[in-house]
Amino acid sequence: MTVGIYVHIPFCVKKCSYCDFLSFEGEQAPIHEAYAEALVKEIELLSQVYSKKYLVNSIFIGGGTPSILALSTVSGIMHAVRAAFHVEKDAEITIEANPRTLSALKLESYLSAGINRLSIGAQSLDDAVLKSLGRVHLSRDVFDCYGMARAAGFNNINLDLMFGVPGQTFEIWKSTLDEALGLEPEHVSFYSLQVEEGTKLHEMLAAGAVEGVSDELDRKMYHFAAKALQGAGYCHYEISNAAKPGLECKHNVKYWSMANYLGAGLGAHSYIGGARFGNVRSLEKYIEMGSKRSGELTEIGALREWVHENDPADDMSEYMFTGLRMMKGISTEDFENRFGRRLVDVYAKEWPAVERYISGGFLIFEGGMLRLSEKGVDISNRIMSEFMLGSGRRPR
Amino acid sequence: MEQYQKYIRNFCIIAHIDHGKSTLADRIIESTGLVSHRDMREQFLDNMELERERGITIKLQTTRITYQAKDGNEYVFNLIDTPGHVDFTYEVSRSLAACEGAVLIVDATQGVEAQTLANVYLALDENLEILPVLNKIDLLSARPDEIKLEIEEIIGIDAHEAPLISAKEGIGIEEVLEHVVSDVPCPKGNPEGKLKALIFDSYYDNYKGVVSYTRVFDGKVRKGDMIRLMNTGKKYEVTEVGTYVPGPMPCEELSAGEVGYVCASIKQVADARVGDTITIDADPADEPLPGYKKAQPMVYCGIYPAEGEKYESVKDALEKLQVNDAAFHFEPETSTALGFGFRCGFLGLLHMEIIVERLEREFDLGVITTSPSVIYRVVMNSGEVIMIQNPTNLPDIMEIDHVEEPIVKADIMIPKEYVGSIMELCQDRRGRMIHMEYITEARVLIHYEMPLNEVIYDFFDALKSKTRGYGSLDYEFIKYEKSSVVKMDILLNKDLVDAFSMIVHESKAYVRGRFVCEKLKEIIPMHQFEVPIQAAIGQKVIARETVKAYRKDVTAKCYGGDISRKKKLLEKQKEGKKRMRQFGTVEVPQEAFTAVLKYDDNK
Repeated sequence: MTVGIYVHIPFCVKKCSYCDFLSFEGEQAPIHEAYAEALVKEIELLSQVYSKKYLVNSIFIGGGTPSILALSTVSGIMHAVRAAFHVEKDAEITIEANPRTLSALKLESYLSAGINRLSIGAQSLDDAVLKSLGRVHLSRDVFDCYGMARAAGFNNINLDLMFGVPGQTFEIWKSTLDEALGLEPEHVSFYSLQVEEGTKLHEMLAAGAVEGVSDELDRKMYHFAAKALQGAGYCHYEISNAAKPGLECKHNVKYWSMANYLGAGLGAHSYIGGARFGNVRSLEKYIEMGSKRSGELTEIGALREWVHENDPADDMSEYMFTGLRMMKGISTEDFENRFGRRLVDVYAKEWPAVERYISGGFLIFEGGMLRLSEKGVDISNRIMSEFMLGSGRRPR
Repeated sequence: MEQYQKYIRNFCIIAHIDHGKSTLADRIIESTGLVSHRDMREQFLDNMELERERGITIKLQTTRITYQAKDGNEYVFNLIDTPGHVDFTYEVSRSLAACEGAVLIVDATQGVEAQTLANVYLALDENLEILPVLNKIDLLSARPDEIKLEIEEIIGIDAHEAPLISAKEGIGIEEVLEHVVSDVPCPKGNPEGKLKALIFDSYYDNYKGVVSYTRVFDGKVRKGDMIRLMNTGKKYEVTEVGTYVPGPMPCEELSAGEVGYVCASIKQVADARVGDTITIDADPADEPLPGYKKAQPMVYCGIYPAEGEKYESVKDALEKLQVNDAAFHFEPETSTALGFGFRCGFLGLLHMEIIVERLEREFDLGVITTSPSVIYRVVMNSGEVIMIQNPTNLPDIMEIDHVEEPIVKADIMIPKEYVGSIMELCQDRRGRMIHMEYITEARVLIHYEMPLNEVIYDFFDALKSKTRGYGSLDYEFIKYEKSSVVKMDILLNKDLVDAFSMIVHESKAYVRGRFVCEKLKEIIPMHQFEVPIQAAIGQKVIARETVKAYRKDVTAKCYGGDISRKKKLLEKQKEGKKRMRQFGTVEVPQEAFTAVLKYDDNK
């Protein structure tokens, strides 16, 4: 069996205005190293449980800003993973990078550590929009580091882009997209800005300091991008992701297809062997546990903030709502093979509502596949919620 | 007088809501050692969960207590609890009829309230000896001397020796018991006479059938007797008699003056209606005890299974509730919007809310209730008179000569500083002031005649809100009166939703229509299209609002495989949808039906 490993690096130079991820700004190298040490110990513990049974075919080092770490720290983490697990030869190994924190040296060391995919957090190629997002870099930095990465030899690069940002007009978005496509990255993620409570941006919008983008414009930007990407030869394979054929992000696809993944690091999530669990979210606690850890397997429990054994209802609900994020949708045959029940029987009660979405053109049901239409994406939460079966037990 | 009767005291406790009736009952039971403190749930007599939560007593509980008095004798106390709400006046009056005395609790911090008075008048009607008691004496804001004067002035009874108690703290309880011994007359009646026993409450027991709480006035009743209920004429064989101590304890017989229960394999409570008289079939009393009334629902509404609930389950539950509630009526009806359901009759709005809540809690059923309606008397051009309790059934306006609506006499008691705002409120509710009296320097009793239709919506909430909770209300039906009422319909996306139709007074249609449209706009979620909400009388639209279409409900990403957060959100979204009801193309949350009735402080 195979598994993907996610490694979380919860550090940033500065927190972006929209960010509600688990990340800390302004921490210095000693903390980074102490954290990496704890991380390595966790990876060793994980290997005691899983390495015999699972082959690793994807690794994703995400954050935060993984590229903030010293290059030796990243190599150390990669070394630890390889020492602890059997990593397949052609495994997809991604690192996320902020344009400001990259250097030619870092990029080279990533490659020599076996990292073969780079995800650049460009977000925009317009300086005013970047400022509105609270990014620490300018558009120029994106072009620079993209060039460096190509020069270093990265042949699988993703650009993260955001739309629906306060102050961003349709024209600005269009030109960002044009310029990004001009770089010919292998993969583009295009995210609609989500304003989360507790973020600086949320405050600013609430105070009227900036004006939000209307839902209409946000959707116009989205559909424009989806079309432009397809026109440029990309496959729009997930709500917010497009890739050159065959270069879809293998690791992220695991999240949307109920495949196994192990999360290492602060607050990281895992789904493996039918259970979901999440790690502790206190940096102090995580580092402290790492420093005391003796390598005994029994210590692994202390790392978990919550554990939830999925029951069939959980699995079916998750299969549906994650699967529908993929533009190819879900296969009724695969559903039946997995769960031993027909989709229409499991969702007999919900089916009238599903049919309404089909007849309204929001869902497409053909060739044994159920998928969102382009306009279905706009209201996908509503549609997905129909497939939630509810379970007595919830992750705590 | 018979010797055994000398040591019996039949009494009840009457009070305004929250003045501490149930707490005092608890203390009395506790102090006589019947129920150990450990086994005691708060407020023993209110044994329905719902009642405890609302702090009100809906169904009566009666308890027999033995009390060792200071005079050295042992007394049997039959403590008869009474319901404490305006909807249950008749039930209260029958409970009172079973007693010789009433302990009147008055809150020493609040004084006499409208309901206190209403209950006192009922007690006086039954010639009860009234023992005033001042409760909550432990509170700093207690004003016992002032309140004593108030009782004397308003009620006209001597409150000079009224015990000062705190039921909560257990202060003064013994004094109350001694007063019961000395002041409440013992029962009279001839145990050798023809049986006359009053049913003052009934409940359904799965094993015994209907259990009737009974006060025997004359004669005796025992197991094996063939009895007849004098008002319904039905006959039964007695299977068990006994008393509550407080659990049921079978006994040989109940004789004149005693209080206990009678079981006779009666299938539903409606057959052993409160107020009926039990007699021996072979040797009946000449005439029944006075005061029997058939239960008369005043308020009707539709109850429909919520999405996903079965009609049959709701029917079963309603039947079970009816078995235990003679005042509750229902019959099948159909609504275009809601499908198959039931038209249900209640004594009042509280009674309605209780039934609906019991369906939800005890039977775990989701139901939708439609706008409550009073019963209109419709006089047709042909001279034919029809009674309409469902707005949808109102005949075509062209065929109607006129419509009459029920009017109640409402007694409202308030602190004087609220007179202005309450008069305004009553004016707004089409009330006609009959007269106003200052019952003390600070408190005013206003008598109104008001359409029941105006009372049932949100009048009580408005009264409470405008008087910071100090206002109290008591009302009773007096007559039908000609009125210009119209039927107002609600249209969602151009489709008429019959379940929202209501009958309103012409003068209030615009305000009401606007209010309902605004409320629905708040409650109906955005759809993929615009949803116009219209209020209309016939073809004429009188108010309109629009729910905007939504364009975006999508999650851009689930970071690092954290799908549990998104899952929770989707589950919540689905939960919300469960409470939705599809009307044509529009989804309406079920709470919309009650929300359009609620009093809004800001309006």
